[in-house]
Amino acid sequence: MKPALNTASGSLRVEALAKHFGGLKVFDGISFTVPPGEVLGVIGPNGAGKTTLINVMCGMLAPTSGRVVLGDHDITGKSFHAISQLGVVRSFQQTNTFRSASVEENLFRAERFSAARRGPDLGLPALLEEFGLARHLHEPSDKLPYGLQKMLGLVMVLAVRPRFLLLDEPVAGLERRERTQLDRFVEHAREKLGCGVLIVEHDMELVRRLCPQIVVLEAGRLLASGAPDEVLSRRDVIDAYLGATEEE
Amino acid sequence: MQLNRRRELSLDLWAVLLLFPLIAVPFLTNNSLVYSLTHQVVIGLVATLGVYIMLRMDLLAFTVPAFMAIGGYAAAIVTKSGSSNLLLLMAAAFVVPALFAIPLGALVLRLKGTYFIFITYIFNEILQLLIFETPTLTGGSDGIAGLPPAAMFGIELSSPRMLLLVTITVGIVAALATLAVTHRFRPEFSSIEENETLAQSLGVAVWKYRSIGFIASAGVSGLAGFALVNQLSTAHPSSFASFSAINYIAYVFVGGRRTMLGPVVGTVLLVSMSNAFSSQAQYSSALFGLLLIAVVTIAPGGLVGTGQRLVAALGSRFRGKALASEPNKTHANGEHV
Repeated sequence: MKPALNTASGSLRVEALAKHFGGLKVFDGISFTVPPGEVLGVIGPNGAGKTTLINVMCGMLAPTSGRVVLGDHDITGKSFHAISQLGVVRSFQQTNTFRSASVEENLFRAERFSAARRGPDLGLPALLEEFGLARHLHEPSDKLPYGLQKMLGLVMVLAVRPRFLLLDEPVAGLERRERTQLDRFVEHAREKLGCGVLIVEHDMELVRRLCPQIVVLEAGRLLASGAPDEVLSRRDVIDAYLGATEEE
Repeated sequence: MQLNRRRELSLDLWAVLLLFPLIAVPFLTNNSLVYSLTHQVVIGLVATLGVYIMLRMDLLAFTVPAFMAIGGYAAAIVTKSGSSNLLLLMAAAFVVPALFAIPLGALVLRLKGTYFIFITYIFNEILQLLIFETPTLTGGSDGIAGLPPAAMFGIELSSPRMLLLVTITVGIVAALATLAVTHRFRPEFSSIEENETLAQSLGVAVWKYRSIGFIASAGVSGLAGFALVNQLSTAHPSSFASFSAINYIAYVFVGGRRTMLGPVVGTVLLVSMSNAFSSQAQYSSALFGLLLIAVVTIAPGGLVGTGQRLVAALGSRFRGKALASEPNKTHANGEHV
């Protein structure tokens, strides 16, 4: 696999995707497209099925019906690691690192596991410096403060050179002043790799800043999609959020 | 961690290097007690390395006695058919169990935790039954007795001294194989051990590395089986009883599961102890149990892990002082003692 992968013009699409657990329909008939290099926000109240959507897209869960398509490739039902190797890589809502391994070792592993996809320089040292990780390189990752562990998780995802990033509440638990680091992260990923990015987030300010397009999930169906200003002023969207908006 | 990795490698290398001086034992003494103890330690260590490899991926495998049996019987059958070349026997003892591990791995490696432990334990029982039910191949309950010893350059290695030398050679080869596999795949194994989901999310095909480890563990266990069969000149089902797996597991946990030095320390200590207490054999398993409980609760890293922690704590206290007198360097080494 050559760097051409990263600049290939395929989009990441989900088509009529559904996931049921027995009688429980988590979501149904979800369709949208993440074009390469674009940022799509996915919002919705808790329990709307956002994390499950990422779990299905990345191959951790098999969908009940529908398809996930990468470029011309149907990747539905492929295994988690295989989808990651194809370049669709997720981050996790909670901090998630190789705990006792140092920051440096964590990054070394991410690079090693994706050694098949070498390409342009990722400029990781600059990013590590900017996020305040550079001076903790030799510390065990689980000894870092929460915010740094979360940023490390994101940098690791970037280190495997994804074509599409699936970010599951990337700023949840971060302090407000730390949250702008995600803007830098997304900008960096798009600049270096031309990544398409899907962001599941509750922070509406951030969504407005980063996502020119959003989709709203409510009770397992696609309630609305479009530009944030327009979508977020819709009556049904506001109703869906009333009493459900969570402030951290 | 670069540093840490180097430290782990050096402890692993020490474990292998410690085996080389054993070559001198058969030339220094004729004492049959020393011979017997050395056989037990080396064979026990090789079996223990079979457990160690799987623990590198956080899988507690009870398969070691079964693969020892397959390796031991494979060598015995080759010997019976007329070829007793040491290298050929070692190759058979490694490769045959490794081949068995491929289909078995496909079945059991999808299991985790207690299910994996249970199924691998059952596998031993099934294999024991198979040995009893196939007397034409395995000699059934009589085993295969009166085997000629392994030979090298046409010379039978039959004296007690040469038998011991064969066991030690097998030990060194098995340790080198373990070192090679666990170092070649250390980042993958460690990642699977610590956080399988994250490893997969970064593109690690977990099943592939589990299979590699399982195959290597089977081969190494097979070598232990061969050494035992060669020492006793008999392949007998009682040599490979299921419960012996518990001993090998105890050796790893007591010694420490994070580096190869752990199995070495654990095996030497526990084999010597059970020999010292052999006149009260009925108590030795109770003693084993108590020791295991003590180590798991007081020193979860085993003896080697605890030693490493002490050294690290002392080291960073020392560095902490050195840094305090050098206020320019604001490195955070002293922080997490």
